[in-house]
Amino acid sequence: MKKSLKFITVLLVLMLAISAFAVGCSSTSDAPAGQNEGGEGNTAGNDFPTKPIDVIVSFGAGGGTDVGARILLPYVEKELGVPINVINKPGAGGWVGWADLVNENPDGYTLGYINTPAIITGYLNPNNNRRNTIDDFDLISNHVTDYNVIAVKADDNRFENIDDVIKLAQETELTATSTGIGTDNHIAILTLNNELGTNFTTVQMGGGNEIYAAVLGGHVDVLISNVGEATAGHNSGDIRILAVLAPERVDFIPDVPTLEEAGYGEIYGYSARGIAAPKDMDPAILEKITDAFAKAMEDEDHIRRMAEMGLQVNAVYGDEYYNQVKQVEENIKHISDLLGW
Amino acid sequence: MVGFEIVQMFFTVQTIMALLVGTIGGMFIGALPGLSATMAIALLIPVTFGMEPVAGLVMLSAIYTSAVFGGSISAILLHTPGTPASAATALDGYALTKQGKGLKAIGISTISSMIGGTISALALLFLAPPLSLVSLRFNAPEYFLIAIFGLTIIGSLAGDSLVKGLASGAFGLLIGLIGMDLMYGYPRFTYGFMTLESGIALVPAMIGLFSISQVLIQSEKIAKLKGKKEEKIIDVNSLEGTVLPSWKEFKSIVPTMIRSSAIGVLVGILPGAGGDIGSWVSYNEAKRFSKEPEKFGKGSIEGIAASESANNAVTGGTLIPLLTLGIPGSAAAAVLLGGLLIQGLVPGHALFSDYAGITYAVIFGFLIANILMGITGLLIAKHIVKVSTIPIGILSALIVVLSIVGSYAINNSVMDIYVMATFGVIGYFMRKTGFHPAPVVLAMILGPLAESSFKQSVVMAKGNLMTYFFGRPISIVLIVLTILALFAPLMMNYAQKKIQKNNTAKN
Repeated sequence: MKKSLKFITVLLVLMLAISAFAVGCSSTSDAPAGQNEGGEGNTAGNDFPTKPIDVIVSFGAGGGTDVGARILLPYVEKELGVPINVINKPGAGGWVGWADLVNENPDGYTLGYINTPAIITGYLNPNNNRRNTIDDFDLISNHVTDYNVIAVKADDNRFENIDDVIKLAQETELTATSTGIGTDNHIAILTLNNELGTNFTTVQMGGGNEIYAAVLGGHVDVLISNVGEATAGHNSGDIRILAVLAPERVDFIPDVPTLEEAGYGEIYGYSARGIAAPKDMDPAILEKITDAFAKAMEDEDHIRRMAEMGLQVNAVYGDEYYNQVKQVEENIKHISDLLGW
Repeated sequence: MVGFEIVQMFFTVQTIMALLVGTIGGMFIGALPGLSATMAIALLIPVTFGMEPVAGLVMLSAIYTSAVFGGSISAILLHTPGTPASAATALDGYALTKQGKGLKAIGISTISSMIGGTISALALLFLAPPLSLVSLRFNAPEYFLIAIFGLTIIGSLAGDSLVKGLASGAFGLLIGLIGMDLMYGYPRFTYGFMTLESGIALVPAMIGLFSISQVLIQSEKIAKLKGKKEEKIIDVNSLEGTVLPSWKEFKSIVPTMIRSSAIGVLVGILPGAGGDIGSWVSYNEAKRFSKEPEKFGKGSIEGIAASESANNAVTGGTLIPLLTLGIPGSAAAAVLLGGLLIQGLVPGHALFSDYAGITYAVIFGFLIANILMGITGLLIAKHIVKVSTIPIGILSALIVVLSIVGSYAINNSVMDIYVMATFGVIGYFMRKTGFHPAPVVLAMILGPLAESSFKQSVVMAKGNLMTYFFGRPISIVLIVLTILALFAPLMMNYAQKKIQKNNTAKN
């Protein structure tokens, strides 16, 4: 009897330890960085970093952004020589994490993943009342660019090629998949309707798996998805990708033409994610972080790992990255009346 | 030949170690409120980077199934479901614990989980391709009808009063409305709180409604005693029963376990529905088919068997569309997909041809994990049931700490702790006034599913909604089932009264 009570006590303590450990794994110190000692630019840049760095991921553990981050960050750790912790802060389409990131100290010890177009549609949607925009961040580097694709079920004999899809959509109403209001799929559908006069109606679903199942089961006509999510089905012969919304063909699916090639003009669509920091970071620290990420991004091992997940690394830094994001913002403003904003 | 290859791949030191770690670790994590199977898998995926594919994937799938089982242990002993999938288990399991029959409850739960998991593993092994085609036949219209069918349970779910059950359900539906609307992107009832845009998170609300309310009720009892006696859930000397059910009891739950496992596998293969829905639907069907429906909620072993065999059957079910089509059947399976890809295994036909060796070794490992989980559960049951003899003053404090940690851990959000505390107080007053929290949880799960799948159906129908619903065979079956579920009891009542009347008239 006594023995088993002892056993229970040990068990309970163990349970507490495990739960504390699990929380510790997914997040570490929430404490702000305290006083900003030694404000002088150069010395700060030389010392940096002296303690672990947090990277806020605004989506749940195990999701696409999270997995990508956990693949990349060990290579950055190697460059900077301090541990980097991933902190998942999901909610409000990513803005729970991004609002936290904006309010952090710009000392380089808190960075975050930002996702386009989600971060932009989040504040362009007037219902949301967001206080911040993309200009409240210092952009460090893009990590992944995942272009939109137009695909159909493999045995859907209404569609031989992309022309058949566009033509039929111009004549009648076709349903197309999206993963939520203001997602890249949604923007792509509205852009197609706007530019080509198609009548795609949007079926909003919870995520990449649901939209894939809906098209595979023949419940929705056209799959609007991303290269990263659709390539496996294309290769296994369950679906056929008919066009990619990119300026050039994508390496993972070299047989698929771009929409531009097929003669429909410069219609591009993608989701992208990269690293950002709260605004006004010390330039020396910013440079050091950017260099570390640049080296990690170009690591062959890292690029191969990402490719296995179906994701194309697209390292673009600083101002160039900022301009790309601003271009996305421009495109969305262009169709804002279609979004009802 | 292939068989030999599989055995060879499976029986390596690394794989066996991974299996043990996964099974036992999963049980612990599952037992802790808030720490779900999904999170356990997500955190361990980086660990599998450096492992052999078979070992890594066996570990992840073992964690998945045993975490779902682990959730039932705390549900039974502490009225604190470790995962949403074991909320239904708490109803009868805790009732048995209070009667001193916690050991038997854990025994039933262990055996049912093992059988449910094993049946789903066998389905995965032999029926994966045809079942994956079934899963594709279900979409938004069917999900809507499944949700409606599930909601027909609400009135009879728990408690004595139909009206109170319906009121609790309506409250749950209302809570389910909070957050961003999927179709139009409009924030509803968020009052400017950004964290509310994703809705009230289910797990913290459930922890509040079930476990915090329980803690409050017991603290009240202690306060009334004013330290005269040490209050426990049950006295050591009142513990009775054996971990293994009698042959008669076992025979009586066999039909329930088989039916619930079938429901579990079916719900598992649907990408839009997971373990929580599977266990509730099975629980209700068990009640409908039971010879003693009045015992449900008061310590029915059939109730435990139904919910537990179903939620473990869901685990194998979710892996079927994952492996064959690359469509995960649940959130945990979606995380597992990442684990597969990192090992260079792309779901699809190739898994069953080019990589058949690895795939079948992993499925075999999953099967063994379920059996190992059952054996471990039966061995530790006798010790673990003593948790219910710990003084409530100590136990309550522990439960509160675990609940807070668990609620925070889901999204690293302090808001979720407030949600848990608020729902704890709501749950306390509900139970004091005779409302049961179970319908609230059920409605919170099914309400949003019904809403979004109905809106999706409207768009998919391209105009005529009625013809769309009635043009789909599975839809028609579900509509008929729902009508039967709603009106059969009334008709039977009526018929019975008529017969009685006739009999009395004759006499």
